[in-house]
Amino acid sequence: MESPATIEPRALEHGDLLAHDAVPAALISMRDIWKTYEMGEEPLHALRGVSFDVQRGEYLAIIGPSGSGKSTLMNLIGCLDTPSQGRYWINGKLVSEMDDDELAHIRNKEIGFVFQTFNLLARATALHNVELPLIYAGISSADRHERAKNALSSVELSDRMMHRPNELSGGQRQRVAIARALVNHPSLLLADEPTGALDSHTSIEIMNLFERLHAEGNTIIVVTHEPDIASRAHRVIAIRDGQIEKDEKIR
Amino acid sequence: METELLTETALERRAPRRTGPRLEPPRRRRRLRLPPAFYTTWESLRIALSSLRANKLRTALTLVGVVVGVAAVIAVVTIIKGLDQTVASTFSSQGSTVFTISKRPSVITSREDFIRFNRRKDVTQDDAESIARLCNLCWRTGIAANAQATVKAGDRSSEGVRIRGLTLSMFAIEDAVVEAGRQWTDVEEAAGRDVAVIGPDVVDNLFDGAPFDRVVGRQVRVEGRSYEVVGVTERLGKIFGFSRDNFVEIPYPTFKKAFTARTSLIAFIQVPEEAQLTAAEDQARAIMRNRRGKTFREEEDGFTLETQDVFIDLYKSATANIYVVTIGVAAISLVVGGIVVMNIMLVSVTERTREIGIRKAVGASRRDILLQFLIEAVVITSIGGLLGVGFGFALAFVLAKAMGFPLLFSAGSAILGVSVSSAVGIASGLWPAWKASKLDPIEALRAE
Ligand SMILES: Nc1ncnc2c1ncn2[C@@H]1O[C@H](COP(=O)(O)OP(=O)(O)OP(=O)(O)O)[C@@H](O)[C@H]1O
Ligand SMILES: [Mg+2]
Repeated sequence: MESPATIEPRALEHGDLLAHDAVPAALISMRDIWKTYEMGEEPLHALRGVSFDVQRGEYLAIIGPSGSGKSTLMNLIGCLDTPSQGRYWINGKLVSEMDDDELAHIRNKEIGFVFQTFNLLARATALHNVELPLIYAGISSADRHERAKNALSSVELSDRMMHRPNELSGGQRQRVAIARALVNHPSLLLADEPTGALDSHTSIEIMNLFERLHAEGNTIIVVTHEPDIASRAHRVIAIRDGQIEKDEKIR
Repeated sequence: METELLTETALERRAPRRTGPRLEPPRRRRRLRLPPAFYTTWESLRIALSSLRANKLRTALTLVGVVVGVAAVIAVVTIIKGLDQTVASTFSSQGSTVFTISKRPSVITSREDFIRFNRRKDVTQDDAESIARLCNLCWRTGIAANAQATVKAGDRSSEGVRIRGLTLSMFAIEDAVVEAGRQWTDVEEAAGRDVAVIGPDVVDNLFDGAPFDRVVGRQVRVEGRSYEVVGVTERLGKIFGFSRDNFVEIPYPTFKKAFTARTSLIAFIQVPEEAQLTAAEDQARAIMRNRRGKTFREEEDGFTLETQDVFIDLYKSATANIYVVTIGVAAISLVVGGIVVMNIMLVSVTERTREIGIRKAVGASRRDILLQFLIEAVVITSIGGLLGVGFGFALAFVLAKAMGFPLLFSAGSAILGVSVSSAVGIASGLWPAWKASKLDPIEALRAE
């Protein structure tokens, strides 16, 4: 197994292909990633050769028009989807070489994912939804309750813990999804339009929360349409038609 | 182990991760630590129960096969255990020290046999007396002749009562206990007096269940002849639904006078110990063959010599057949039940694809998902098993009451029933659970 410890960290240009034995030291390393959907006659390329690195502790915003491939990319980063082509290392390890247990562990302990479509369990209460990652982390029910309650109060939902998703507003659902992503203290937070359904006040609260998590040393990647949100990040990647159009440090 | 390394070394290189002011409880109390699998299993159980509750009708239909299968086994096992005990206590009273000589076997299975046996000579008092005289291994010999008749007392009457003409020795051979009154005497027997010892059913039917000692001294009439009741026997109860207490016993010489047409009798012979049985049988057989003039080896006896074993054998082969049929019924319904469970589980997996996707996205491993659905299947079938045990025992209870045999609930068969149904759950849940566990997270999340 390739070991990340032996590799000198170095900055990479986009499209710069690594030699096969070279392992990037960045937290996230994508090289020439393609995602192609076979739809009828024409294959649909949602991503066409995306390459970039994200270092530990970075705060990154991904922007781009609707349908440009942002969610597709996030799903790949979150180890939920597999690329049609290209290589992806997380923490120096090739994701394609990981087994199911490793992937489950990473999704559970290392990554917090806020889905654009929330993806809450319809039959479970907000509290139980937030507890879910802790269950698979094997945490006792008393600890679980405490932590889930704390996470819900950090998104100001203490008074809606026993509500099911269909008894919550869109913004409240989004906040449950955020609480769930944060509850297991992930080192990498992936948020796909986390404030899409929120008013500006709540958005600011959430963004402050993200900022604090970033200050605590966590890595954050946010997909957004809103310039305000993007401007809070330290780096912005712009995507268009499945390709990186722009990648700039803004702080 | 790779994952562990990953966590500890690299991704954890973040400074004050566990000190966030709002996300983290202020202090950590020490609590009992259970293995992580415990919590995921508990969660699976919770999910299983809530999804079964959400689809009550479907759950009920799913259960039918398993319930029927388990109930059949439990009922039959319980009933047969009860019968076993009845049979054992019934036949052990005479034990295997008694054999009989009669015109016909007690079990006849075909019309041809019946006709053939009927052509035989009757077994007579002379036959019995010569055995008593010549068979030195035979300890006690007795005579029993049977008839059926209507018995009357006052204005009451009871049909189909067994009338038995007995010699006194039969009381000893059959180990009969006269609870009230007495047996008849030698003198009464020799003189052919009209005296009778009656069974408790006759007291119930003709004397309104009066205390037995109040019945002693009263009269019963059989075919126009009056008998003085001198004794009432102890109650024996039912076997296979037939009462063993519905009889009138009269001295054999009296019987001969009253029931002239029916002359073939059964000679009962008892030996002191079981070990002597075969030798005594051989002797008695030789005496009888001699009396029938059967000299050639190959010639048929012309009478039937048998022990109580014929009943036990008959009973055993009957119960063996019942067991086979039951196991067949149970196996079929469990297989059908298993297929139904598998089907329902497949539907459930399809319906809950999105849920599976969500669970996987937040860190459920394949094993977690597999276990979740497996546990669900086992929970369904175990509930079926428990219900089956309940219904089975209830059925056995009703039948035991109706047929009058003791009810022997066995924990063993209950445990077997539930474990077999759990095994059915595992077998039928495995494939759906495996399918669920193999789902691709992102495709599952996209499912509607
Ligand atoms: N499962 C799929 N099958 C086929 N095509 C898909 C699938 N998922 C995404 N696509 C296509 O891939 C492209 C990128 O989709 P994606 O969801 O990544 O867009 P996005 O940038 O997140 O858009 P938005 O801002 O609207 O969320 C779209 O054209 C979409 O139609
Ligand atoms: Mg999107």
